[in-house]
Amino acid sequence: MLQRTILTLLTLLLLGGAARAETTIVFAVDATWPPMEFVDQNKQIVGYSIDFLRAAGKEAGFTPVFKNTAWDGIFAGLAAGKYDAISSSVSITEERKKAMDFSEPYFTVHQALIVKKDSSARSLADLKGKKVGAQIGTTGYFAIKAADGVIPKSYDEIGLAMEDLNVGRIDGVVCDDPVAANYALIKYKNSLKIATIIKTDQEEYYGFAVKKGDRKTLELINKGIEAVKAKGIDRELKKKWIGQ
Amino acid sequence: MAEEKKIIEVGDGAAIPKSEDKGLVSAWWVAVIGTVGLLVFLPLSKPDPYARILSFVPDGILVTFEVTLASISLALVIGLVTGLGRISSNRFFNLAASLYVEVIRGVPLLVQLFYIYFALGRFVRVPDMVAAVIAMAICYGAYMGEVFRAGITSIDHGQTEASLSLGFNHRQTMAYVILPQAWRTILPPVGNELIALLKDTSLVSILAVSDILRRGREYASESFNYFETYTMIALIYLLITLILSRLIATMETRLSHYERR
Repeated sequence: MLQRTILTLLTLLLLGGAARAETTIVFAVDATWPPMEFVDQNKQIVGYSIDFLRAAGKEAGFTPVFKNTAWDGIFAGLAAGKYDAISSSVSITEERKKAMDFSEPYFTVHQALIVKKDSSARSLADLKGKKVGAQIGTTGYFAIKAADGVIPKSYDEIGLAMEDLNVGRIDGVVCDDPVAANYALIKYKNSLKIATIIKTDQEEYYGFAVKKGDRKTLELINKGIEAVKAKGIDRELKKKWIGQ
Repeated sequence: MAEEKKIIEVGDGAAIPKSEDKGLVSAWWVAVIGTVGLLVFLPLSKPDPYARILSFVPDGILVTFEVTLASISLALVIGLVTGLGRISSNRFFNLAASLYVEVIRGVPLLVQLFYIYFALGRFVRVPDMVAAVIAMAICYGAYMGEVFRAGITSIDHGQTEASLSLGFNHRQTMAYVILPQAWRTILPPVGNELIALLKDTSLVSILAVSDILRRGREYASESFNYFETYTMIALIYLLITLILSRLIATMETRLSHYERR
């Protein structure tokens, strides 16, 4: 009996030691961006990028821990060292590269314009003088700010913008295409539709952001991304979460 | 008539300096000079980003004022009706007013804003600014109602008796005798509420109303200059409240002339 207890304890210690030996990376997630990252009915953070990182962690030897964080201020928290990285569908932009380092791209994204089902607008140009919403500090918001004659409105969460569009307070919403599809084809399929995918000169990619100069974390994440892509896990995940 | 000066303590507005309160008066001056100094010094010494932040927010200041003024006007009307309701002998009117105050005071302002904006948005279509103003006014109307009630009950009952014995009916008594006197007691706490309301309008930024805070957040989210942006935002709010509290203090001093005699 005593022997068994000691054995159990030893095993537990060993297991615990093994778990500790593996690096933990804390990722900040704004889980309001379905299907990339969102909170499901069991209050768990789930989505494409969550599964992606779990798989990457398995390949590269790190355990991702997800911390739900409000989007507005998510970059400030990274700079302040509140977490090691951001996994929140962050598009890699030149502006952001100045403030933080990015992993290799893990997803190609486009900006989509969503309008009411009965709207005749086919592009942002058709919405001159009208209010168009997007989430604050996203590439979608930068797109409507750059568009001529459109009145930009920024929201804390994309869901709030969609609801405002749904009740008719604004005339359009711009956001990443997987998210647009999730809202226009599933949640609000009776009232909203995707008007167009906005053409840009540059391809837009998601990357995981780390604190500027944090090479160690970056290398681990990059190693994971490479392995996930090489094994084709990303294609399976796309099928599972986005359906294509 | 030797009546005691009654003070109504409601709300969490900025400390209003009274002329006899030397400590607060000097604190006010230090705060104003410091705020104005920083608001001038920072943009001059570091135009990027401070001057850029300052040029980014003015339309937000305007929106904040618009929401504040519209809400306080509406809240005063709601407050007067509620205050009268709370002391009314009409059972139904009294219950309705009391219920309103009870419900509103029990729900956080942020939740009320979400509720009126999003929950009711499904049934009534109102523009964002209007929704924000309605939500603020409904919330502050309840607090205003308590201020009015306290102000009206602070008037000696002898006034009512005298007025009634002179042949005024209840409505005339309220309009010509009680309210004109109660007004003096009511105004200072109303000023307090005004300042509190102005600060609370920062909550409407969650409704995508482009007030001072929203503009600041938009700037910060693009430039990542969080420290600089929120420093400027705080300074702007502080300067506005400081000026307002001074105005209200002046008003209070003017009103107190009646009581000295």
